[in-house]
Amino acid sequence: MDDATLRERLEEFLRGRLADAASVRVTGLERSTEGFSAETFTFDVDVARNGTVEKRAFVLKREPLAGLLEPYDLEPEFRVLHALSAHPLPSPPTPWLERDPAVLERSFYVMDRLPGDVPIPVAGPDGCGPFTEAERANLGVDVVDALAQLHTVDWRRLGLGFLGDPGPGRAAAARELERWEDRIRRSELPLDPALAEALGWLRGHLPATNDITLVHGDYRLGNFLVARNAAGARLSGILDWELVHLGDPLEDVAWCTSELWRGGTAFASGLMLPEEFVERWARATGREPDAARLHFYRVLAIVKMIAIMLTGLRAFRDGRTADLRMAIFDHQLPYLHLLLGMLRGWMGGA
Amino acid sequence: MQLTVAMLLDGVMRTLREAVLPAVGERFARGQLFAVLDVLQNLRDRVEPKAELAEVEAASATAALERAAQALPAPDGPELARALAEIPAGPPAARAAALRAILVRAYEMLDGLPDERGAAARSALAEHLAAQTMRDVAVLKPSLLEEISKG
Repeated sequence: MDDATLRERLEEFLRGRLADAASVRVTGLERSTEGFSAETFTFDVDVARNGTVEKRAFVLKREPLAGLLEPYDLEPEFRVLHALSAHPLPSPPTPWLERDPAVLERSFYVMDRLPGDVPIPVAGPDGCGPFTEAERANLGVDVVDALAQLHTVDWRRLGLGFLGDPGPGRAAAARELERWEDRIRRSELPLDPALAEALGWLRGHLPATNDITLVHGDYRLGNFLVARNAAGARLSGILDWELVHLGDPLEDVAWCTSELWRGGTAFASGLMLPEEFVERWARATGREPDAARLHFYRVLAIVKMIAIMLTGLRAFRDGRTADLRMAIFDHQLPYLHLLLGMLRGWMGGA
Repeated sequence: MQLTVAMLLDGVMRTLREAVLPAVGERFARGQLFAVLDVLQNLRDRVEPKAELAEVEAASATAALERAAQALPAPDGPELARALAEIPAGPPAARAAALRAILVRAYEMLDGLPDERGAAARSALAEHLAAQTMRDVAVLKPSLLEEISKG
């Protein structure tokens, strides 16, 4: 579907959803190049009502034909975002989901566009990370506190039990490990020995917890919307909820502080030292950051990233995507093996 | 590596045709793009991975697996030794891939053993993994991820 048709159909969809509007006009429709997963479009809407025109800004996420987190189902993340729309967490208010393929060929949802931009986890040309020291001071606090807030969401009251409570004990860890092992198996690509070593260790060291919370699943630099103004940089939005589930909150802490998202710095998600991040999160939530559980999820974080890359590589091998970014994963895998070696201790033999 | 050179070049050509070509409006640039495609489609069946890298990997993996086979109790140790003996002579890349599969099998064996009984084998395999990872990382070029993400 070309962009002109997309815009026409989108206007028709919005006229149905904004039934009290005299007219609806979509402008500035643009496909985002940054996401690796669902297709993302940004657009503005002029909504005419009672002789005045209200300007609104939206983001549309559509199921891709192939991608890193396939098979896709946008409904769970939509339901979570919709339920959180009135919550103080800076998640984008998300009013509409459409599953009818007659509208835009594939399922999609529409959310409000929040202010700010999305810094990504790569080192700058001078070797520094994406933030200045002053920005880190504000943003680090915002990011940890928002994560703590996310982990205190009363998911039962918000009706998010449909995500599936894994229950107490080792079930949360077992379910996550199985989720990512299953993706690795489905890629049908040969297992690297470094990955096999890590999987064996993870299977033998499932940690237990009775503390089940909402888990974002991809909470890290690259999914934070940051608004910069004269007063500094603040967290204005938490994006990309495709991996949201119920589980151990330390999974999010481990993911966000992982070496994967340091952006060329020593800082968790380019923001603050990992130990400071964990300490602040523990204080804010009143939880004990058990070291063994955290280490399990740190190893799982790398395995999860490998699983995501293998999924992309499979789609590329099958010719289901023309996105050459998927092929790049093939030569990034050795970096992840290196991280596994450091976390598991076998790099000491080099 | 999970992609062969042919798969990679096929993907590059597909991306150029489907994602880049439609956005290139200038005639000379389009001509150059078709020339790139012409070069790539003729290159596809004439290149293979650098043998030297695979040879080094295969030698390192073989040495580690031999040590592991000696250190592991029966039936695992003899099974590993048999698997090593059965690797057919072939292109270095194919031998390295076969050895990687045996390394994976060795880790499966170790998962079923108490730590103290598998320690010597685990140490032999770890030395190879560490050295191989360093070799793999050493040939990588600096990432263009920022440019790729921002376009």
